[in-house]
Amino acid sequence: MAATTAEGGNVYKPRLFHIFRNTPFGRESLLQSIHFCKLLECSIEIYIPQSTRFLMYFENDVTQVDLDSSYLTAPDTAREHALDLVTQAGLTPEFFEPKNYTASTLPDIPTDYDFMCCPRSISDLSSKIGLGYIGPRVRKIVQSAHFPVIITNGVFKPWTSIAVFFGGSINAVKSLKLGLRIARKIGFGLNLITQVEHRKADHYERIIKENHLQAEVDQHVQHWFRFESNNLEENLYAIPHDALAVLGAYGHGLIKEIVFGSKMEKIQSTIPNNLLIVGPNFTSVV
Amino acid sequence: MRLKLRQIWRLPASWPLFQADDRLLMILIAAIVGICSGLAAVILNRSLTAMLEWLHHYRHFWWAFVLPACGAALSSLFLEKIVNEGAGHGVPEVIYAVSRYGGLLRARSGYSRIVSSCLTIGSGGSAGPEAPVVMSGAAIGSNIARFFSLNDRQRVALVGCGAAGAISSIFNAPIAGMVFSVEVILGEWTAVNIIPIAIAAVAGTEISRLLQGNQIVFAHRLFNIGLIDIAASFGLAVCCAAASVLLTHALHTVHTMSAKTRLPFWLRAAVGGCAVGVIGLFLPVVLGEGYHAVRTVIDGTFEAGLWFVGLIALAKIFATALTLGWGGSGGIFAPCLVIGSFVGLSFHRLMVEMWPAVQWVNEGCFALLGMAGLISGILQAPLTGIFLIVEITGTYEVILPLIIVSTISTTLCHYIEPASFYLRELVEKGQLLRPGTDARVLSDLSIGELLETDCICVPKSMLLGDFINIVKKSHRNYFPVEDEKTGRFLGLIHLDDIRPYLFDSQLYNAVFVEQIMDPKVDIVSPGDDLIDVLKKMDEKRIFSMPVIAGERFLGMVSKATLLDQYRKELMVQTSH
Repeated sequence: MAATTAEGGNVYKPRLFHIFRNTPFGRESLLQSIHFCKLLECSIEIYIPQSTRFLMYFENDVTQVDLDSSYLTAPDTAREHALDLVTQAGLTPEFFEPKNYTASTLPDIPTDYDFMCCPRSISDLSSKIGLGYIGPRVRKIVQSAHFPVIITNGVFKPWTSIAVFFGGSINAVKSLKLGLRIARKIGFGLNLITQVEHRKADHYERIIKENHLQAEVDQHVQHWFRFESNNLEENLYAIPHDALAVLGAYGHGLIKEIVFGSKMEKIQSTIPNNLLIVGPNFTSVV
Repeated sequence: MRLKLRQIWRLPASWPLFQADDRLLMILIAAIVGICSGLAAVILNRSLTAMLEWLHHYRHFWWAFVLPACGAALSSLFLEKIVNEGAGHGVPEVIYAVSRYGGLLRARSGYSRIVSSCLTIGSGGSAGPEAPVVMSGAAIGSNIARFFSLNDRQRVALVGCGAAGAISSIFNAPIAGMVFSVEVILGEWTAVNIIPIAIAAVAGTEISRLLQGNQIVFAHRLFNIGLIDIAASFGLAVCCAAASVLLTHALHTVHTMSAKTRLPFWLRAAVGGCAVGVIGLFLPVVLGEGYHAVRTVIDGTFEAGLWFVGLIALAKIFATALTLGWGGSGGIFAPCLVIGSFVGLSFHRLMVEMWPAVQWVNEGCFALLGMAGLISGILQAPLTGIFLIVEITGTYEVILPLIIVSTISTTLCHYIEPASFYLRELVEKGQLLRPGTDARVLSDLSIGELLETDCICVPKSMLLGDFINIVKKSHRNYFPVEDEKTGRFLGLIHLDDIRPYLFDSQLYNAVFVEQIMDPKVDIVSPGDDLIDVLKKMDEKRIFSMPVIAGERFLGMVSKATLLDQYRKELMVQTSH
């Protein structure tokens, strides 16, 4: 879409899509989105669901999202509550109203956003929205979306640094690029996290050089944590508690995914930080 | 290395063999889709037969009228609670996906309608298994295309292949499958689509023949058709059109009525099923798909009199409306065949009553013609009606009156109802986007693609003199005015607006741009449909409009850029 013009007139603002839930959990989640939007100068588009399911048509996939009934809580105050939170933060929200419906109770949600905010699960009871579980719909959105997905923690906590998980894969390179762009944009420090796995130490540096990221890494990375001993879960204690964790996900084939599981899901079940997850189809830029 | 292996397996379009021309690839994948959708049709057919046989023993009990209620309730519970489908008829959803989202369909649709329609029809609900199996086949095609990472055009063709394979398999009618897919589902006749669809139709039919034998749905009979019969077929076409319109209206009215009730969805389905069960107590012929009755009608062995036959046709119309309108799952193909056969039979008997001396053809022939008339009228697809009846009866002798009934019925129905039963809702919502149409081209463009961002924004407190210096540097006619503190869009200045001030230099330091701007300018949002934007431009005779998001100016959208992009998009869409 649009970009900054030579005359300095109009700047395209990235858009974040947020599905609002009119509950205390939903409020915390919206506060996270607002914080993200303020830092990255994004505009926020809020959807207050009228039914518990909707479809997202991606480029090569369609995902049905089944919300739990808490997303329909107190619909008469939902808009007002969301508006209050967003305007108090000095932002102007757009409220999304579905135009197209696949079936009468099945609205279509556009997928041309730059970010989307999801709680860890959007299809189960709120008691499950904590660590240790990522919903299948969130997983499907991450796998199909061209935008990164923000997975919030249960309670609003402003993040003040960035932690990028870099394992050398294609998705990891994408997440590093995203992390660097955010760091460049908002001036926060960036930490790189690498769990060295049966590879030589220079393997990761070589990938960074091959992707022409060395200069930016030198400029923005404050510390590169390279864990050569212990398992990943133990080493995650080193991640700053107030960092936005940026990581790639689902870059492997189906068989490896089934046999070894997803590393992203391991990380999200261990650290309570806000996560910005880059899926295999991520293409957009900040 | 891993990526290369994945490319080999999951991206066949990148294989050297298929890079230059994808037709061979499409033929190979179409065969797979045809086999899978054919299997789905066989599974549904077998399950339905098993369920009907199992419940047959209970039909003579007085409480048998609750069987369709139980089936419909279980069917809706399955769709809503187990597979979370958000059910519709199925076929409109396929057409919607084809016209708007390159044929993307959910994987669960590949099996959900098979189970739900089996419950509805097997328990006695008045519906057909064809639409559910079309939905399954289309979803299978879509998901196979997704698996192989095919593009939108290829995916749409495979959705058509799935529908063709399913119809071909369930009716043992490959040409009808092909024609239905192209005429009803895709809505465009192109060589690149027809070849894979033909292969899928063959594959689907062959699977059905391998597993169920090469049987014609309705036994072949010889008819000696005279000129008088051909002349009478014009009258039959009118009756078929009337019955088609009545069925369409009944389905729509009952569905609207049902939606207004506050009953839970499963109870609504049960109410509809119960009503059908009650009708079935008196007229068992209305229950289920009803092919047995059609066979007796075509054989000429249906003994009931004229008025009773007419009553059955009416009862079947209402039973179908009650089943589908109140939440049961199934399609209208089979009910159309049943209703059409009774309409044809009634018409024949009426002719015989009125002109007993005339040597009329056997009444079974008119039943066939009625079936074609109903299918063509409801679907507004005359070729589907013609080929289906020729193939499922193996009777080519009826082709001349068949063409007359199908085309006249379609024309009359189109005159009364501009959109077919499947397309009506989509047309009403403006969501039918057939390939190559204006709406389709515009829907594939977005405001973002047309945004002109080279406008110079000016603050509201700028003096006219400074503004004129800006105008000198710009090649644009429009200048958005913003609040310098908040960045909020306030209005627009057109070059014409400053003309009165241009030659009075005393005003250069006295007038602010805020005083010149037009604050009540029509604006566009980034999410607006281009059809609406173009309509607004035409109505108000404007050539450019500002695009505003969150009260901020993003750029301009102009008719010239729109038409330029329109032409490019049209070339892309029609290049194959």
